[in-house]
Amino acid sequence: MDPARRLGPAQIDVVAQLAVSTVLLGGIYALIAVGLTLIFGIMRVVNFAHGEFLMLGMYLAFFAFTLEGLDPYVVLLISIPIFYGVGWLAYVLIMRGVIHASHNVQIFTTVGLSTALQNVALVLWTGDFRVIRPWHSSVVLRVAGTAFNLSQVVAWAVAVALTIALFAFMKWTHTGRVMRATAQDRDAATLMGIDTDRVYRLTFAIGIACVGAAGVLVSPLYAVYPQAGLQFVTLAYVVVVLGGLGDMAGAMAGSLIVAAVEVAGSYVFGAAWKEVFYFLLFIGVLVFRPAGLFGQRGAETLGA
Amino acid sequence: MTRLAPDRWTAVALFAAAAATPLVTRDTFMLDSVILILLWGSLSAGWNVAGGYAGQVSLGHAAFFGIGAYAAALMSARHLNPWLGLAIGVGLSIGAGGLIGYLSNRLKGPYFALSTIAFAEVLKIVASRWRGFTAGSEGVPVPFRPGFATLGLGHVAWLYLILVLALVCYALQMYLERSRVGYQLAGVREDEDAAEALGIATRRRKVQAVVLSAALTSMGGSLWAQYVGFVDPSHVFSIDLSVRFALNSIIGGIGTALGPFLGSLLITSLETYLRATFSGIQAGFTGIYLIIYGVVLILIVRFAPEGVTGIAARWRTRRDRAHA
Amino acid sequence: MLTLESVTKRFGGLTAVRGVSLEVRRGDLLGIIGPNGAGKTTLFNVIAGYYRPEEGRVVFEGRDVTGLPAHAISRLGLTRTFQIVKPFGNLCVADNVMIGALTRLQRVRDARVEAERVIALCGLGPHAPARARALPVGLRKRLEVARALATRPRLLLLDEVMAGLNPSELAGIIDLVRRVHAEGVTLIVIEHVMAAMMRLAQRIVMLHHGEKIAEGTPAEIAHDRRVIDAYLGDEFNLAEA
Repeated sequence: MDPARRLGPAQIDVVAQLAVSTVLLGGIYALIAVGLTLIFGIMRVVNFAHGEFLMLGMYLAFFAFTLEGLDPYVVLLISIPIFYGVGWLAYVLIMRGVIHASHNVQIFTTVGLSTALQNVALVLWTGDFRVIRPWHSSVVLRVAGTAFNLSQVVAWAVAVALTIALFAFMKWTHTGRVMRATAQDRDAATLMGIDTDRVYRLTFAIGIACVGAAGVLVSPLYAVYPQAGLQFVTLAYVVVVLGGLGDMAGAMAGSLIVAAVEVAGSYVFGAAWKEVFYFLLFIGVLVFRPAGLFGQRGAETLGA
Repeated sequence: MTRLAPDRWTAVALFAAAAATPLVTRDTFMLDSVILILLWGSLSAGWNVAGGYAGQVSLGHAAFFGIGAYAAALMSARHLNPWLGLAIGVGLSIGAGGLIGYLSNRLKGPYFALSTIAFAEVLKIVASRWRGFTAGSEGVPVPFRPGFATLGLGHVAWLYLILVLALVCYALQMYLERSRVGYQLAGVREDEDAAEALGIATRRRKVQAVVLSAALTSMGGSLWAQYVGFVDPSHVFSIDLSVRFALNSIIGGIGTALGPFLGSLLITSLETYLRATFSGIQAGFTGIYLIIYGVVLILIVRFAPEGVTGIAARWRTRRDRAHA
Repeated sequence: MLTLESVTKRFGGLTAVRGVSLEVRRGDLLGIIGPNGAGKTTLFNVIAGYYRPEEGRVVFEGRDVTGLPAHAISRLGLTRTFQIVKPFGNLCVADNVMIGALTRLQRVRDARVEAERVIALCGLGPHAPARARALPVGLRKRLEVARALATRPRLLLLDEVMAGLNPSELAGIIDLVRRVHAEGVTLIVIEHVMAAMMRLAQRIVMLHHGEKIAEGTPAEIAHDRRVIDAYLGDEFNLAEA
């Protein structure tokens, strides 16, 4: 690091660049985390396979681009209903049976799903790293001394738009309120005549739709391979824990924090150590503020 | 707690068959298979101590495996005694196990599992980057120096050595089933508050279980490193390994002494068979057996959570009732 | 045997128990009553070591046990049951009780013998091999008592063991509590079933909004103005007692 401590124009540029990177990254992490926190908050299920759906989204974008020449942002439009359907199917076939089971059963169900999906990808498409380079991934925008990639910006903008749309849905529609009620108290919801099975189906479908869309969005930015989901899943959980489970606004704020930690940490120590930071952050939050930074009830009382 | 005599006979039969293998054949492939089955069984039994008996499900046991593997490998690579490496590995794993045990008291179920995953990941990164010490991501080759003290053994000797490890792990699990400690652990597993009300120091017991589990896994890791001859960070600390330890125990019968070994037998056999059959298509085949594992895991955990030993027990009860 | 000195327990802004002082002598059967939310279970949690009080002391057999961990207090001879029973579901009844017996006994063999004795005492004999999870609520309550009894407590805290029982189960539990008391165990019992309380208890303490508002014999309590006021509007009819 530069020993000269005075905040001259060069340092400001660095800080600005880091800040922009943080925001761009944070938006994308938010989309991934928001689906997870919904599933976690409403269904009380830890979805260890979340990263694999992201990976499938990436492959969808890859094949659409390579075989049909479709730009990822076009694919995005169809990916949302596709992954909504995938999530719906996954719930009906797999998750519904274990929604009332013990934590361990749920853990291993989603771990099994994760293993299966990763290896389906491996068998079908090999472990080769795939990359797509649509025209916008090489366009660099320069604003006020900071530089960023057009793909990143668009990904960020779409992610933020989707996240806000979801947030609005949860807050202002009747269905959204029903879902939030179920998150608060599953038994009370049933007693009030809420069809919790339908709520869970919806939740899982939405959650997977979010993360599948996120996969499509980040396909120009990261390499596509069967285990691509793993790197995102850890951080998604850090975000969810930071923001408090089930708390969407918390997930959005948490994303920024995690992105900031990653960006700053990578700058100082190098990109390889980012998982170490996640772990430290993760453990730190769990040990000192298990209810998340925003004091929401829930993290410790996972059982209810 | 079901402690069925039939399970014990099955275990005796399995271990006896393993011990008898070198008398029947000297084929390296067969011996290697038996060694791997016993080794995986021991590693899974190690996991089972924490995951099955104490109810602390960890998905990061590869951390302890890797510590043990590196400890032995690094000692051997420097022409020092790998047994000493094993001991060092156990020591380090006990420390790491203490940390994880502490976490198990702070974090519940899925959160605990997540933290164990993260822990193993961190060790993987550290091992991959620490060029000066661990030779980074290139891995550490383990030189073969013939002799018992240097753990440079032939297949037959390895088989009996690993069999000893397996018997120790089995015996420890049996102890956990019928001893005072074991009963108390069962209480901790079932309901911690109730266990506290009955005078059980739940936090201490959980840490003890995790530490023991870590030590056993580390031992297995050290022996594995010497047997296989190469330690590579992205393999020894991988989540796939951690899942595998749990998988064997769950499919065989979680929380039973026989379970991990039975699960290991079934799964390792399947893998070996598939590997032999599909030997041409590399990555393609690798995926298939793992897909099967994933699906089987989902099914077992939903429909037969007590694993194969549980299914066998239920079948026996039904058969006895039919005869009665 | 047990003395509570001005115990206060707060949760953030809520004071669940406020300045409660109590004394229980060896061989007593003390009842604690009060409307829901009065702080009865919280008091048990403080006595048994699950909560640490903000103020006050808990002295058991001359020894200050305030803030000791629950398992340590249990080993000293003070055991509690839970209002919502917590059986070791996947274990059989015999194993459940045996784990209780292992609190004091070191050898599994001895614990098994003790467990059989307690199971017989509590009338759970025919159910011994059954999985705890499979038991109906009446038997679960019995199991809860049996398991606690197996720890050979000198002081036993029973938290609403009678809730949710039908009349015949109720009679059975009352009889069990009497027999346990006759064996020499000192008892503190939280109950809502007034009829039973009035018959069993030698002394009754009433809690309301976390404070002790009355203490006395069943007859005194039944006519205490403050007790009647606190229960006004409740379905309980003290005249039945």
